[in-house]
Amino acid sequence: MKRVMSTKIAVISVAGVLLVELLGLPALSPAQEEVASAIRRYKDREVSTGYYEEYEALPRRQRPLVEIPGVRRGIFPYSPAAAEVRSRTHLADSHQGIQFYWNLRCQICHLKETKDIHTTRANLTCRQCHGGEPIPSINYLYSPLNPIRKHAYVCSKCHEGASASYASYVVHEPNPAMVGTRTSFPLLFYVFWFMVVLAVGTFLVFLPHTLIWGIRELFVKMKKE
Amino acid sequence: MRPQTRIRRFSPLQRLFHLFLMLTFLTQASTGLARMFIETRWGKNLAGLFGGYETCRTIHIYVGIFMLCVFALHVVYVLSRIKWREFPRSLFGPDSLLLQFKDLKEFLLHVGWFLNITRGPEFDRWGYWEKFDYWAVFWGIPVLGITGLLLAYPLSASQIMPGWALNIAFWIHRIEAILAMCHVFIIHFFIGHLRPHSFPMDQAMFAGSVDVEDAKHERPTWIARLEHAGSLQRALVSEPSAAGRAVFYVFGYLAMATGVFLLIGGLVNAPYITW
Repeated sequence: MKRVMSTKIAVISVAGVLLVELLGLPALSPAQEEVASAIRRYKDREVSTGYYEEYEALPRRQRPLVEIPGVRRGIFPYSPAAAEVRSRTHLADSHQGIQFYWNLRCQICHLKETKDIHTTRANLTCRQCHGGEPIPSINYLYSPLNPIRKHAYVCSKCHEGASASYASYVVHEPNPAMVGTRTSFPLLFYVFWFMVVLAVGTFLVFLPHTLIWGIRELFVKMKKE
Repeated sequence: MRPQTRIRRFSPLQRLFHLFLMLTFLTQASTGLARMFIETRWGKNLAGLFGGYETCRTIHIYVGIFMLCVFALHVVYVLSRIKWREFPRSLFGPDSLLLQFKDLKEFLLHVGWFLNITRGPEFDRWGYWEKFDYWAVFWGIPVLGITGLLLAYPLSASQIMPGWALNIAFWIHRIEAILAMCHVFIIHFFIGHLRPHSFPMDQAMFAGSVDVEDAKHERPTWIARLEHAGSLQRALVSEPSAAGRAVFYVFGYLAMATGVFLLIGGLVNAPYITW
């Protein structure tokens, strides 16, 4: 009897101490886990707030998919047309040296880039992402569109909480049907053609099948009548 | 008392699943095409019916999630219908929708009959085209559902995969949706309702039954099997009332008209959008 009593007193004491601690101590905060992991770091915050400080723009882990099909990458890569000009992907002013530049409009040279979902459906203009003059190349170290900070400086203006991974979405998507896409975005190319073959294959079998079936039944019906 | 001239083919629950599928599929097709064709007058008008471009997206997402829920219920239903004591033999029975070798044989015989080369196959309860339709939906809903969820919630999706995978998800969603719509609006509608044998409408999925004489002609093996088992009389039901038939016709043709409208509008306006 005495033993049971002492056990009860012990349990009540421990529970009491715990209760006092819970009431008295500050609540657990996610901030206590800040920078707990070098891998995750601000990942949780990226989806929650959309606001970034400069130091929060982490280098992305994916390599950018912007490449010139069939052309080796390096310090001085050449254009797809094999013209001996420098690729303009690392310049502070990507339009540097272009004649009569001030009389040109973006779509005169970048027509393909004006025809994607961001431009045709969301009605975005080039400058809303690429900024004012001088427009730096996207791989220029201080460009807002450099993949190390694109998600924080550009994407999150509309897509609140955009992460580095999110920003690897290819806005100016290459035409998935084209041969060049096999080099610049191979997975898109192969998946697209797999789906097209699946769809075309289905119709190649079932369209003539259905049509001939209808004609055959028509003949049977006419014969009966 | 109307004479019992029809044979039961679908249970009320199966018809309810089909009804849900019809309504949700047409909603998804309309809202999806409205967004896809928003650059054209046709797309703008279509989107206007649903409250505009953004509302179309909201409807598309929530109806899509609803479809996935009904699909999950359907999977539970299918699992409950399997005769587990005779598993896996029961999967290959004559009432099973699983594709079997005999379906390939029947397909080839059927094509032979189209070309007047062979005698037509004697179908059992399910024809190969019906099994194909069923599995096309069974594959299509998860494919469209998963890619749709990735696209609907891109911030969360890009936490579990790179953002560029959304480019791929978009094309899978788009091509699979076009495949599904074209298949339903052309092939399924034609086989189900417009070919001479079914014209003006195959009421099986609405009334739940088919005419015995028609079934004897098109599915003689099924009828013979039921006669042999002595269950044919029990499966007989009477014809739906005139009012019921009227509802089936109006509803069915409204659905078909919607499908044909979307199909023609999509084909006509396809050259004018940014792909």
